[in-house]
Amino acid sequence: MLMQEFEALFEEVEFVVIAVVVLLLAYLALEHREIVYSVFFFGFMAASVAGFYLLLEAPFIAGMQIAVYTGGISALIIFGVLLLPRAQGSSLEVLQTPRMRRIGMILSATVMTLSAVLALVFPWSQSFPADRPPIAQDLAGLAAWLWGEHGIYVQLVALMMLTAVIGSVAILKMEKTEKLSPLKDRPGLGSRGKENEGASETKAHDEEHQDAKEAGTQ
Amino acid sequence: MIPLSWYLVVAFVMIGLGAYGMVTKRNLIRILIGAEIMGNGVNIALVAFSLYNPVFSFTGQGLIILVISVTAAHTALALVLMLMYQTRYSTVDLGEPVTVEARKSD
Repeated sequence: MLMQEFEALFEEVEFVVIAVVVLLLAYLALEHREIVYSVFFFGFMAASVAGFYLLLEAPFIAGMQIAVYTGGISALIIFGVLLLPRAQGSSLEVLQTPRMRRIGMILSATVMTLSAVLALVFPWSQSFPADRPPIAQDLAGLAAWLWGEHGIYVQLVALMMLTAVIGSVAILKMEKTEKLSPLKDRPGLGSRGKENEGASETKAHDEEHQDAKEAGTQ
Repeated sequence: MIPLSWYLVVAFVMIGLGAYGMVTKRNLIRILIGAEIMGNGVNIALVAFSLYNPVFSFTGQGLIILVISVTAAHTALALVLMLMYQTRYSTVDLGEPVTVEARKSD
């Protein structure tokens, strides 16, 4: 009995520590002046959020969180910072008007207040019983569920990834095409265009020549 | 056992922080980070609801796998759009092109 109470207390302490770390890192990720440090803070925050998933007995999601957010998205944003040198300018961190800051504070305070009311006042304990079923950490069950009758989830994920990759490449290609010279100068179309252009030019030249001849004879 | 409302409070505070970042920041990368923080908050709420549901199913976790993949995809797309933005306007300041347009119209 005493052991169970100690475990419950330990779990609550773990939760509070993880929550404080996550919220502090999220704040630093938004407010630190150096954008590179901000991205690192975001990566650490994502890794700390995995702690919540471990507390919620979802170890696969915790692993995926660390792999995708900390390993993938943070690295991607760091690459973004490197490719966008202007993002590192400290002048960007100074707001033009304090009005925007006030609006942001009011908006986020409203969201937080309404959410806190929803979380604390709404009778969640009646909707969800306090004693949850003993399911936890069933990786084999999750795998069977995911790859068995719900394979559509995996296919959807694959499709979305493919769409994102193709979309990114297509957008960058579009940008490059816009920068190139107009369409008639391109090798395929250009040669035909030039031929046509050349043919029409010679035709016009011949007509002028003929007109001049006629004028001369007259 | 930790009550569900504790998780919800943390999730909603993260959503509020992300909203604050998205509204007040001018730097596109910070706006993206704000969106990611909001997404993390939503994920925590989803997993918590999934676990505290009396009838257990893996639906919540499957949904989270989907959401995390979508987040990764939209981050990649957002970075490409940022590259385009910088090429077009020579800045990543969200307010500046408007100013340039306003100057042009003046």
